[in-house]
Amino acid sequence: MRLLPAVAAAGVAVALAVAACGGGGDGDRERVTVLAAASLTEVLPAVEPDAAYSFDGSDFLASQVREDVPADVYLAANARYPIELADAGLLEEVRVVARNRLVIVVQEGNPSDIRTVGDLAASELRVVIAGATVPIGEYTRAALATLDASDVLDNVASNENDVKAVVGKVALGEADAGIAYATDVAPVRESVELVELPDVAQPEIEYLAGVIASSERKDGARAFLELLGSERGLEALAAAGFDLP
Amino acid sequence: MSRRFQLVLIAAIVVATAFLALPVIAVFTRAGPGELIEALGSDVAVDAMVLSLKANAIALGFTLVIGTPAAYFLALRRFWGRNVVITVLELPLVLPPAVAGVGLLAALGTRGLLGGTLEAAGVRLPFTEAAVVIAVIFVSSPFYLRQAIAAFEAIDANLLDASRTLGASSLRTLARVSIPLASAGLAAGATLAWARGMGEFGATILFAGSLRGVTQTTPLAIYEAFSIDATTAQALGAVLILTSLAVLLTAKFLPTWRPSSSTSASRFDRSTST
Repeated sequence: MRLLPAVAAAGVAVALAVAACGGGGDGDRERVTVLAAASLTEVLPAVEPDAAYSFDGSDFLASQVREDVPADVYLAANARYPIELADAGLLEEVRVVARNRLVIVVQEGNPSDIRTVGDLAASELRVVIAGATVPIGEYTRAALATLDASDVLDNVASNENDVKAVVGKVALGEADAGIAYATDVAPVRESVELVELPDVAQPEIEYLAGVIASSERKDGARAFLELLGSERGLEALAAAGFDLP
Repeated sequence: MSRRFQLVLIAAIVVATAFLALPVIAVFTRAGPGELIEALGSDVAVDAMVLSLKANAIALGFTLVIGTPAAYFLALRRFWGRNVVITVLELPLVLPPAVAGVGLLAALGTRGLLGGTLEAAGVRLPFTEAAVVIAVIFVSSPFYLRQAIAAFEAIDANLLDASRTLGASSLRTLARVSIPLASAGLAAGATLAWARGMGEFGATILFAGSLRGVTQTTPLAIYEAFSIDATTAQALGAVLILTSLAVLLTAKFLPTWRPSSSTSASRFDRSTST
């Protein structure tokens, strides 16, 4: 049996499949692809409906950037991941785009009567936070340490992958409380309430964004970031509850 | 077969094999043997593998104990609505796992259909190891049920009649005739269910959450590891690939041993002792 023609045919088949997908994706080539922290899920499409978005934990998205995923803009809910990527030459033109603050999210009507972080350590309480590598998870642990309330971690029922999953579990009634960004409460306001954290416990939460070095649409990426920093972008961020840079 | 047609078939095999094998092989090229062993030895990996094995063993136990008689009944009886029942049992096969997770929350979550009843009984399922087992049973048992129904249907009805004519009860016929004759199919179904259960991700993360040592199974640990460092994720993935491969190979060779043992005379010797 001659394998060579078979391999050639296989190559042609794969090339055809790739070409078919590439052809279909012509329209997408115009669009800027944005990898953004899950907490930006509502606000970014309101600012720029024409971009393609992938929302996830900033840590997960940073891994994707390191793996050379084809994308143009990376927006993280912290400074560490963008700076790490910039140091590795993978991210350019890094800037601060927004700020946020932490709140305790509880079920509607606050049935467990949670007033302070200390209340989260009460026995039988099911607390959901984000994993230690997601920015919100890092901030949460930092805030608990500042308030000398690390015993709350004993009540943690699940370490979620991003902040939306934390809020979702409280909104569903599965968890009694969670720690999230103030901006994540609005989309599920009818099923949760928020309890403020004291200012001393607030870590500095900066959202840094940049243009991905391997991007083929750097002009589009820059335009996206400029739009976000424009009056319209800042208004949308403020309306969603973000503090401005 | 014309030569040209044969070449088309070979091309198809090459494409299919290359496409399916490439990601699997690639995982091993990234993570060297040293990293593999290191990843295997990490606390996170050990906890995740122990939980995965334990949850899947319990899930498979439930699947076999309840699924086998259920499949037997469906294979032998014809009744109104039988196709509907079978379709319902097979539905999780084609459901996206995320839908399975949402469904399990809607049914068994604190505010789910049975949530109040469970709460009254003092049971809260989400975020527990029991939730992991339930998620695994939900997504994996249909694989067993499907194979088991087919395996029982394939048995020559005359053999069952003969068994009963010779005085064996229905239960004894199931245990001594039907299950041994269907054993290859049952084993294949159990293997598929096991493999699907070990890989379960979407329903688990929604219904059971992710907490190391409690609900963080290997696939969830892989997802989390990817956020920190892709190499660790790939090393963990390699471990899961090796275990899945072992299960698949066992299943491939198991049926070829079975028939020889079931037709050997020694089986009748053992039947007196049990």
